[in-house]
Amino acid sequence: MDRMDDKRGEDRLDALWAEYRQACPDPEPSANFIPQVWQRIESRRRATSSLRHWAEACVMAALTLTLLIAAFLIPRYQRQPVYQSTYADVLAEADTLDYTLVLTGGDTR
Amino acid sequence: MRAVAVLIEFELIERARSGDESAFNQVLQAYRKRILGTIARLIGKPEDVEDVGQEVFLRLYYSLDQLRTPEVFEPWLYRLTVNAAYDYLRRQRRRHESRMSDLSEQQVMMADASAGGKRSKEDDRHTRVREQVQSLLDKVSTEDRVLLMLKEVEGLSLKELEKIYKVNENALKVRLFRARQRVLKAYEAES
Repeated sequence: MDRMDDKRGEDRLDALWAEYRQACPDPEPSANFIPQVWQRIESRRRATSSLRHWAEACVMAALTLTLLIAAFLIPRYQRQPVYQSTYADVLAEADTLDYTLVLTGGDTR
Repeated sequence: MRAVAVLIEFELIERARSGDESAFNQVLQAYRKRILGTIARLIGKPEDVEDVGQEVFLRLYYSLDQLRTPEVFEPWLYRLTVNAAYDYLRRQRRRHESRMSDLSEQQVMMADASAGGKRSKEDDRHTRVREQVQSLLDKVSTEDRVLLMLKEVEGLSLKELEKIYKVNENALKVRLFRARQRVLKAYEAES
């Protein structure tokens, strides 16, 4: 009995789907439909393009800033070298006495 | 959509895919009515059909280059349509939850029309069927709603649904069976 009720319910549902299909025919698109699609495409394209321009401008600005900083800092470092002499020279200067002692075998008379 | 016929030549799709705008315009002209019909039945809100349809063709335009071969164009277009309908229905559901008391524009139009008494008996019957199906579908999930519409109303075969949903036939049969059971339950509770 339950199975028969189910079958009847399913048949009624199938009939309802068929009726719904008839009650909802494909609507006729308005005359503006295609122009509006193109408008949306264009507006998306403009938005994408302005975003790309903005990103390119940011990259260019960052690049210019990097170059400016480099142009400002590099000559300064070149004028003031960090090391005036080599490590060996510095050591030699600091330990001149010890060096002399070693050479003379400790006799400083 | 019952007779799922390819409306245009593959060569035209190929041209549209490579950026030919006049070819895309022809694709648009060929498919707009069919797509709008599917959307109308999926969402059940005549006033929003064109807006969702335009969104589908916009997405089509910007993703056409991702189409592997023109042979799969139709299931692919259907997928875009289904996704746009999903997005719309989810948005509507959220809006509906926050504004439960508002009548839809369609309901207002229907009330106005019936008050005017201008419609024929046939129109009245169609309106009743539309309302009945929409209220029935409002009781199930968006996923069930779309799947049932595609199968039962649009008349898509399991093979076509497989291409749209990218799942195998058995999984689809199970989903369809469950969705049908849920709608049947709601239908029996209603009648």
